[in-house]
Amino acid sequence: MIFSTELLIQTVISGLMVGVLYALMALGITFIYSIVKTINWAMGEFYMIGSYIQFVAVHFLLGPRWWWLAALISMAGTFLIGLLLEPILIKPMYSRPMQRRDDYATVVTIALLLLLRSLAVALGGPYQYRPESDLSVIWIGPLPQEGARVAASVCALLALAAFWIVIKKTWIGLALRAAAQNRIAVQTSGVDVYRLDAVAFAIGVALAGLAGALLAPLFMVFPTNGAVTSVKGFEIIVIGGLGSIPGALIGGLLLGLVESLGAAFISSPYQNVYGFLLVILILIVKPNGLFGERGREA
Amino acid sequence: MMAGAPILEAQGLTKRYGGLIANNDVRMTLAPGEIRGLIGPNGAGKTTFVNLLTGLETPDAGSVRLDGTDITGLLPHRIAAQGLVRTFQVSRVFANLTVRENLLVPFLAAGSPGGVREGQDRAAELLDLSTLTPLADELAGVLSGGQRMLLQACAGFMIPAVRVYVLDEPFAGINPVVKDTLIALIQGENVGKGRAFLIVSHEMEIVRRLCPLVTVMIQGRVAAEGTLDEVARRPEVIAAYLGRAAA
Repeated sequence: MIFSTELLIQTVISGLMVGVLYALMALGITFIYSIVKTINWAMGEFYMIGSYIQFVAVHFLLGPRWWWLAALISMAGTFLIGLLLEPILIKPMYSRPMQRRDDYATVVTIALLLLLRSLAVALGGPYQYRPESDLSVIWIGPLPQEGARVAASVCALLALAAFWIVIKKTWIGLALRAAAQNRIAVQTSGVDVYRLDAVAFAIGVALAGLAGALLAPLFMVFPTNGAVTSVKGFEIIVIGGLGSIPGALIGGLLLGLVESLGAAFISSPYQNVYGFLLVILILIVKPNGLFGERGREA
Repeated sequence: MMAGAPILEAQGLTKRYGGLIANNDVRMTLAPGEIRGLIGPNGAGKTTFVNLLTGLETPDAGSVRLDGTDITGLLPHRIAAQGLVRTFQVSRVFANLTVRENLLVPFLAAGSPGGVREGQDRAAELLDLSTLTPLADELAGVLSGGQRMLLQACAGFMIPAVRVYVLDEPFAGINPVVKDTLIALIQGENVGKGRAFLIVSHEMEIVRRLCPLVTVMIQGRVAAEGTLDEVARRPEVIAAYLGRAAA
């Protein structure tokens, strides 16, 4: 591979652009963990649901011009599904006396993962779909970028900003931050912590659903399309530290950069390997992740 | 306020952990506006009793009534919303929120019609009373142990409906100045607003000052009730505190 400044800049830009979308996934995982104290292993399947809703909305209902409306619908749809599923699947972990809560939540979310994948096969078949995109190539300076990719990154940035505003400026955000610190105290303050759990779960999976919707024209729509993205989400959690929101954001950008640089300057077939090398490096140097707290109870 | 009708009434509260009976047929009634002390040696079941009252644990038997309404087994946030509020022995402030935000959480949870502005006003008033105003916009994580206890106590007062306030060991390990501030705060809310208090404490001097009546728990049961000086003369109370030989 020939080195050139132009290629470097382009690689960095495309790395950061995909990194923002990775960050969306990782933020969802870490946010659910910080409130509900459990890892949602079915995160990739909410990404998958988001991508299917996007495909159906763009292909059958709205047309490619309304891709952004379809993305909002996908996000709202996954939010609602999360809001409905959490009280049924996750809540019993707290509302009933239980010996091994973590084990329960792990088994339930993995079962949910299998159920949702099978459901996708049953409903849509084992095929790949792709929602049409009529976004033209966008020039960033002298450098061309795929339109759908730029659109996805910009929307992901907007979603991150919206998330920040909800968490920092609204009453529900204040309650969520309090619950992340102490579940018991938030209850004795008069807050219904079970409702917060459902909202946090719904917000987290909606971030995954949005990522799925935005990436659908680039990475295709099929029953297991969430697997790779959710693995990246978990890689970022290891890099950034479980439960850390800045960790999810910076970890996402870092992973996007490393993959993109590795693919451009070392060898592109090994793109997915570079992230794991970064994970191994972080585990050696800083086992709790860049922003992880020491001795946190998992 | 009706004289005679209790604001809080616990009947036959029983809680077992395996073979251990932590609370055994515990009964207590609190009159409106009363400040009651709850004393007893370590392991007597005081904190279990507080947990049963405030919904953090469900009793195996017995009932709790708040102003005549049965609240047994309700979720903690429902009990708080009905006006039975508590603090914790190990203070549970939200270290990642500012001091002011800590106060707004219980206020906004109560969904007062006044909204954020009324909450800010009430928070400012309590911050003044508790001398925490200079720290209002600092993260609660920087507070000392005593300041945390003050903040925790103030957070309870932010719930507009509070009628009974249970303070679990509020004076443990805090400096005398903070103690006096906390005592003044309790007395102010008691006299001004007629709120009843149940104060779990080992600090007999403060209990004597604040509480006309005390309840003594020993080994999961209510062993005595009366003024502090009365109960201190009971042989079973002396025995529990000093060991059998002294009885």
